[in-house]
Amino acid sequence: MAIINQATKELQVKIVYYGPAKSGKTTNLEQIHRDVQIPENTVKGKLTSLATSSDRTLFFDFFPLEAVAIRGFKTKFALFTVPGQAIYNATRQIVLRGVDGIVFVAHSEYERMEENVEALRQMEENLKTLNLNLAEIPLVIQYNKRDLAEVAPVEYLNFVLNNREVEAPTFEASATQGIGVFESLNMITRMLLQKFLKETGRKAI
Amino acid sequence: MDALDGEMRDLLRKSEANLALLVEKAGYLIHQCGSQEAMDSATFATLGSNAFNAVQFMARLVNEGNFTSMYQQGERYSTLMLNVDENALLVLVFPTHLTLGSVKYYATPAALAIGVLIRSASLRVGVNSLDLSDLDPLDIGEIFRGK
Repeated sequence: MAIINQATKELQVKIVYYGPAKSGKTTNLEQIHRDVQIPENTVKGKLTSLATSSDRTLFFDFFPLEAVAIRGFKTKFALFTVPGQAIYNATRQIVLRGVDGIVFVAHSEYERMEENVEALRQMEENLKTLNLNLAEIPLVIQYNKRDLAEVAPVEYLNFVLNNREVEAPTFEASATQGIGVFESLNMITRMLLQKFLKETGRKAI
Repeated sequence: MDALDGEMRDLLRKSEANLALLVEKAGYLIHQCGSQEAMDSATFATLGSNAFNAVQFMARLVNEGNFTSMYQQGERYSTLMLNVDENALLVLVFPTHLTLGSVKYYATPAALAIGVLIRSASLRVGVNSLDLSDLDPLDIGEIFRGK
């Protein structure tokens, strides 16, 4: 749920990177944190990771990003990842609370397809528990790990994961190499800002 | 916002806490009063809200409707998180020489008052609406660029 603070001229939105375990959600945020260009005289936010000793996400990763996307308003994008392992579903629900846009990071390998499908199904269920409807939330699907050997063609991935009335935009990616990372981020921010403008659509008195 | 700020400043003055944060439960920092040495309050707010949400989840597992507050005691500082309403919580940071009881004595009515302010704000018809028609969404282009 986007928050607009007229006193401080700030808009805050929440983007969650969701997907099965080891699909590259944290790598996306790490790449963004490492490479994002920020305006002069601003300080880059810190990437906060609550992870296990073996760097598996335990609760979430969080990275705040600022941009001027609406004239006269500072827009703060709160980027989160969820833990991907099956036992952490309760935690995923907590992180999804108030989400404005989702980047679903999927494995591209054939053998990981079942995990992708299960993660997508569980994501819809978690959103329903939070009284949210996936059809009403901006969604981008990232087919990550395209650099690996045994990857399914995009057409197959689309058929399995993006077979819906209104298809979500998709991006091929290799997050470890930074490919597809900013493209996915820019598309989700564009989608959620467009949705926000359409829904508010108020005029000044 | 002025009323909210006044309420939170009053709370800090009475309770002698260092910092009061009004946090939306999705993790956004709505408003801050006071300061804490070398602290990223936005990240603190995000971590606090998620921790509080996790505890609410635990409450449901023990058939408890709501754990209304959460207290962490440290060696130099302690934190108290109080539920304001369905969407917001109040986070206080205070030195440990202050007792939880004394901080809570002032914080509980402050949280109620803040809840009333939020409720009345949400019921109010927008008098200072925004004109967002300035932005043509097709011009958003690339907001973020990598090096």
